[in-house]
Amino acid sequence: MSGRGGRSETRWAAAILAGFAVLALVPLAAPRDDVLNFLLVILLSITLAESWNIVAGYAGQVNLGHAAFFGIGALVARTLWIDGTPIAAATAAGALLATLSALVIGVAAFRLRGAYFAIGTLALGEISRTTVGNVLAEISTLPTATISTYRLTHRYYVALGLAAVSVAVVAALARSRLGLGMEAVREDEEAAEASGVGALRLKLTALALSAALAGLAGGLFAYYHISYYPSHPFSPHWTFDAVLMTFIGGVGTLHGPVLGAVLYVVLKEYLAVRWVDFHLLIFGALFVAIVLVLPGGLVQAAARLRGAWRR
Amino acid sequence: MTVLAQQLVLGLLIGSLYGLAAAGLSLVFGVLKVLNVAHGELIMLGGYGAFWAVALLGMDPFAALALVVPAALVLGAVLFLGLFGFVMRADEETRIKNSLLIGFGLALALHALAVQLWTADERSIPTPYGGAVITVAGLSLPVVRLLTLALAFALIGALHLLLAHWRWGQAIRAAAEDWQAALLTGIDVRRAYLLAFAMGTALAGAAGTLVTIGYSISPSIGLEWTLKALIVVVLAGLGSMLGTFTGGLALGVAEAVSAAAFGGPYREVVGLVIFVVVLLVRPRGLFGR
Amino acid sequence: MLEVQGLEVAHGDVRALDGVSLTVGAGEIVALLGPNGAGKSTLLLTIAGLLRPRAGRVTWDGEDLRRVSPHLVVERGLAMVPEGRRLFGSMTVEENLALGAFAPRARAARERSLERVYALFPALRERRRQVVRSLSGGQQQMVAVGRAMMTNPRLLMLDEPSLGIAPRLVDAILDSLVDINRGGVAVFLVEQNVRAALALAHRAYVLEQGRIAAHGPAADLLEDPHVRQAYLGPFGR
Repeated sequence: MSGRGGRSETRWAAAILAGFAVLALVPLAAPRDDVLNFLLVILLSITLAESWNIVAGYAGQVNLGHAAFFGIGALVARTLWIDGTPIAAATAAGALLATLSALVIGVAAFRLRGAYFAIGTLALGEISRTTVGNVLAEISTLPTATISTYRLTHRYYVALGLAAVSVAVVAALARSRLGLGMEAVREDEEAAEASGVGALRLKLTALALSAALAGLAGGLFAYYHISYYPSHPFSPHWTFDAVLMTFIGGVGTLHGPVLGAVLYVVLKEYLAVRWVDFHLLIFGALFVAIVLVLPGGLVQAAARLRGAWRR
Repeated sequence: MTVLAQQLVLGLLIGSLYGLAAAGLSLVFGVLKVLNVAHGELIMLGGYGAFWAVALLGMDPFAALALVVPAALVLGAVLFLGLFGFVMRADEETRIKNSLLIGFGLALALHALAVQLWTADERSIPTPYGGAVITVAGLSLPVVRLLTLALAFALIGALHLLLAHWRWGQAIRAAAEDWQAALLTGIDVRRAYLLAFAMGTALAGAAGTLVTIGYSISPSIGLEWTLKALIVVVLAGLGSMLGTFTGGLALGVAEAVSAAAFGGPYREVVGLVIFVVVLLVRPRGLFGR
Repeated sequence: MLEVQGLEVAHGDVRALDGVSLTVGAGEIVALLGPNGAGKSTLLLTIAGLLRPRAGRVTWDGEDLRRVSPHLVVERGLAMVPEGRRLFGSMTVEENLALGAFAPRARAARERSLERVYALFPALRERRRQVVRSLSGGQQQMVAVGRAMMTNPRLLMLDEPSLGIAPRLVDAILDSLVDINRGGVAVFLVEQNVRAALALAHRAYVLEQGRIAAHGPAADLLEDPHVRQAYLGPFGR
């Protein structure tokens, strides 16, 4: 896990946001549903990956229950929205509840270290999924009135805005004292604690930020899909996707998760035509290779190649 | 009352397979300090191995064990040499974390592979004994599941004896207790690790076979079984295989009780809640002695 | 037989051994003295192969041991009793001893080695079915020495065998080393109890801050003013 200083992160943030500005023109230039849907999935994945990256890359904690925050955001936003709350307020409420639950879960789960935190959060995520699946077994479908006014472009711009916010948040975090403190905790928790860094407070802040972004992404999911099972956004595969994209791109960097998300979705779409889950086979193998030989992901590989080129 | 008793009996029957599933995980974790979260996927592969042995070779389902277990042993050795062996140099905390990540990637890859090979459908093996049922005191006991319980217990017993009396079994225990001291007594610790990992995989293969015979499998059961095995390991601690087996039975019974009290769909939740509570009460000393 | 040349070992950035050279010949008893933190344990662990040197070499019968895995060092006849005994506490005395005879060469001589260990420490025969953790410190040390002897060594290295043991049993342990040596096994002993160590050793080295500060026949070192002042005290302790 490589923590670069704030300066290069800011430059990357500027480049990525400039790319997003270009994407804002797509609905005008090519207003095709398949293009917009494809880009929307990429943008949603970027948000999800960046949100997971805050806890894993900066605070060094592998959270395998991330889907719970995404799910809570989706559940609250969908319920309130269908009841008549404006979607913006409903999404905000969802993100707020996701953040609050992160604080509650965090106080308990951060008693666990390393791999135990990972399996503990995995279990918590599964508890939330099973419970939601049991209580709300019925499929959730939008009212016909809402469907008749459904505009994909609206969803697209929300996704674009969210991805931009998540990139900006991580960029700001990387430059801040808060981010530095998190990196100190990641490198050596005891040493950080000894030098006066409040490790628990920092880890909780990271988890809350991460949950807030995941909750917003859940709100987008609720806004985007016409019908789905309420337990679906709680499914562990949302967590696993975020883990894969972040690690393969480069955990603890700003642009790694963006790169990972683009690659992941493109490969998935490309392979889905012939092989259902083949992209997971490739990504699973790639992930293992990266953990073993290239812990910095593709970002690190690129840096090494550049270094070799200059020499 | 009989309904509850019947549920408890069925809980014990499935619990024996939880115990068998957990034994492999416990062996690998206790000896190598490697947390293989792909253990459930190895169980799933074992199940499909048995499915193939029956469907393609026309073997008796229980006899398929004789094919699946050695194959899993080899697979385990390959996985250790190709993947998990590389994390053994790191200190314990890094080792557990990296092994978790490797297992995670392996789980995804194996799941995807199984979907390609066998489709996402649920499958089970029809046995010649079919739906035969023994009735004792008003309780109906499916013969096939009784046999899986007996075999699970026999396998655990065999493992226990191997670890207690076999030369390399003792070496595995010594390496688990103090690997440096084991090296200083002339034990090839790396080979002991290889053996322990291969045996853990073989146990997963056996568990998968029995699950497929008594119940059913699909490519997506991996995570569920990994969690079950983890819950049992947390409940029973490390070190005693007979203890692990008892822990499996306990989980089966706890699930049955919770299903009776809160309704069937909550069967899965009780184990996870136990797991989280135990983790929180003993955040560090959990897997220690 | 054992030859150490210019050995340098570091723990991270901290240099523990800084150019140590010494030899142990067949049939010798050699003591290694020195204050805490001088690098004595580091030296033994490096010879056994558990630590890798930064520079210098360890040779055994002319063979370079630097690339030999620790369990094969044992197989070549070089055994070690580590500091703090490091027994397999949940196993019985018998099981611990059996594990000592794990490697092929040791296994061939297993029955004879076991008789020899029980002859050295008759108390162990009575307690052979007892779990090691339930034994006293002195008895555990006997098991540790016994387990190392089960590997059928030609050189036995011991790191502080008298540490944390009742004085009555210290003598028994140190006496056993003389018996072991009479049986043809060389002994390389790290020991806090300098007077006792020099009493039974033929030769000794003094290790200070990672370097050999003095060496010579044990009798000479006993008279050496520096050794007397630093390790035996003004009144000869």
